[in-house]
Amino acid sequence: MSGPIHQHHRTAASEPPLIQGLLVGVALTFLTLFLFVPLVAVFYEALRKGMGVYLAAITDPYALSAIRLTLLSAVCAVPLNMLFGVAAAWAITKFEFRGKSLLITLIDLPFAVSPVIAGLIYVLLFGAHGWLGPALTQHDIKIIFAVPGIVLATVFVTVPFIARELIPLMQAQGTEEEEAALVLGASGWTTFWRITLPNIKWGLLYGVVLCTARAMGEFGAVSVVSGHIRGLTNTLPLHIEILYNEYQFAAAFACASLLTLLALAILGIKTFIERYTFSQRRPPAGGDTP
Amino acid sequence: MSIDIRGLYKRFGNFTALDHIDLKIPAGQLVALLGPSGCGKTTLLRIIAGLETADQGSIWFDGQETGSRHVRERRVGFVFQHYALFQHMTVFENIAFGLRVRPRKQRPSETQIRAKVHELLALIQLEWLAERYPSQLSGGQRQRIALARALAVEPQVLLLDEPFGALDTKVRKELRRWLRRLHDEIHVTSVFVTHDQEEALEVSDQIVVMNHGRIEQIGTPEAVYDTPATPFVYQFLGNINLFHGRAHSGWVRLGGLRVQAPEYQDAQHAPAMAYVRPHDIDLLREPEDSDSTLPATVNRIAILGSLVRLELRQTSDGEIAEVEMTRERFAADPLQIGDLVFVKPRHLRVFLQEEAATEASVPMHWHGDGGGI
Repeated sequence: MSGPIHQHHRTAASEPPLIQGLLVGVALTFLTLFLFVPLVAVFYEALRKGMGVYLAAITDPYALSAIRLTLLSAVCAVPLNMLFGVAAAWAITKFEFRGKSLLITLIDLPFAVSPVIAGLIYVLLFGAHGWLGPALTQHDIKIIFAVPGIVLATVFVTVPFIARELIPLMQAQGTEEEEAALVLGASGWTTFWRITLPNIKWGLLYGVVLCTARAMGEFGAVSVVSGHIRGLTNTLPLHIEILYNEYQFAAAFACASLLTLLALAILGIKTFIERYTFSQRRPPAGGDTP
Repeated sequence: MSIDIRGLYKRFGNFTALDHIDLKIPAGQLVALLGPSGCGKTTLLRIIAGLETADQGSIWFDGQETGSRHVRERRVGFVFQHYALFQHMTVFENIAFGLRVRPRKQRPSETQIRAKVHELLALIQLEWLAERYPSQLSGGQRQRIALARALAVEPQVLLLDEPFGALDTKVRKELRRWLRRLHDEIHVTSVFVTHDQEEALEVSDQIVVMNHGRIEQIGTPEAVYDTPATPFVYQFLGNINLFHGRAHSGWVRLGGLRVQAPEYQDAQHAPAMAYVRPHDIDLLREPEDSDSTLPATVNRIAILGSLVRLELRQTSDGEIAEVEMTRERFAADPLQIGDLVFVKPRHLRVFLQEEAATEASVPMHWHGDGGGI
């Protein structure tokens, strides 16, 4: 491709400068109003009453307990979904089997179902008056209004993230490299660790990042199964809601700023991964690039 | 290592990929599986490798049944059309992979691995690329690396699936000559799949022509090209002209042409087809006798490097025929578009209609320009 000859070289698909400016302007205004202003507001409100109040809010025992529970549910949900996501993507992309499309649909189910419904299903299953309730009470197992329920709800809503990230990637990569490894004498296990995993690692990491973000920020499903017991079954988003309802705005925003910082960190990691994978993107298989 | 394939049968759903294949491949030969796409050649190769399992039949390496052996225990080298190099490994590590994944007891030492990889890199003349990644190489280089990687495990059999299919014409020609030289050096029994008849004719010791999951003919390149066993082989290997007519008591009448066909002594007015290669036709300015030439007019003249290809329209039925001749011969008596000429086939092969209809599923007047799909 030759470089532009004129200063204002235009391809057929590019718009005149006025339209371009207008489109960029609309997009920027929208983003400023709906994303940037609230972002600033969160930190402004959190710090309005001074650093002391801010620190007190986030070191409050209930807040710390909420943070711990949020981290715990993420630590449980993410590895489980990693395992499931890789296994499901592997099965879907490398094998032909009955019920494959059903499996794909099931993976998408948490996207389609409202999180509140998801929470409600668990209440109906494991709650005191639920299907499995009496059996659970008999063995003194508590799921609803307890930590296991929160973990279950979190796992449910985050199921699609890793699998959905890996399926298209693994589909595009095909099975030739794995076949080559097998012919060369590698065992299935070696093939997975030395060939498949290195090929999907960036996609997997990307899925993990999104999954983590969702696991920590989940509100609806967790809210239904949690029971809002302070210090016991409150996650960070639930804790924020309680503080807000009690008119403790500074404390609510202080905790909210933690989740916001988390979101910003995840956004940063995500951008880094995208840039990295973009620069690593392989040339087309048949290419004769020198 | 010889390969003996017995009664191989494979279906995919309703599609019969291989229909009872019997094939013996002698040790040390370079054999081409040639056929159009979907003829089962790649499936056959993958079953030999163990990447696919047959529904029926067996495969024997040097008299030993291999069906029960897992792909990783068959000691085959497999070269993929799109190379399948490990993208995240250097060229060196790609070639060393087969040695590194051996069970600890059989694994060579690091120095042995280094020596082996460098020996192979020298063999493919790409020693200077050892530390590069596959994405930094050209297609031709990648395919040579893939070959070195396959050879690293000292395979008993080398299998190549359209090894040059993804390369451009010039690289493809270089690489196939190189493969032939390499094979003459290392003499490992090799089977390669191709849809390119020119490639098969140039490189292989034996050609196995396949169509619809069946073997049409097995033979040396010369035999397959000069004496095709079926109409399909005739059509698939090289260009052809097709004449329709009738066979009767050892003679075949094709429009105004009458030729002897002693093999059809018993035929009684049987519909017949005759195949003539474009370079097996003489063009005369004057008719010879009434029934050994066909009148036609020159429709088009194309100069293709050292060859001249003429498109003729037969006066009798308007059918098109193609004729090829050397530049010298054309220059000796240059024809013009619109000239009247008399077509005289030098070499002509007649098939009766029934056998042609069942065997040749691609009833084309004119087929195969060397490229395929």
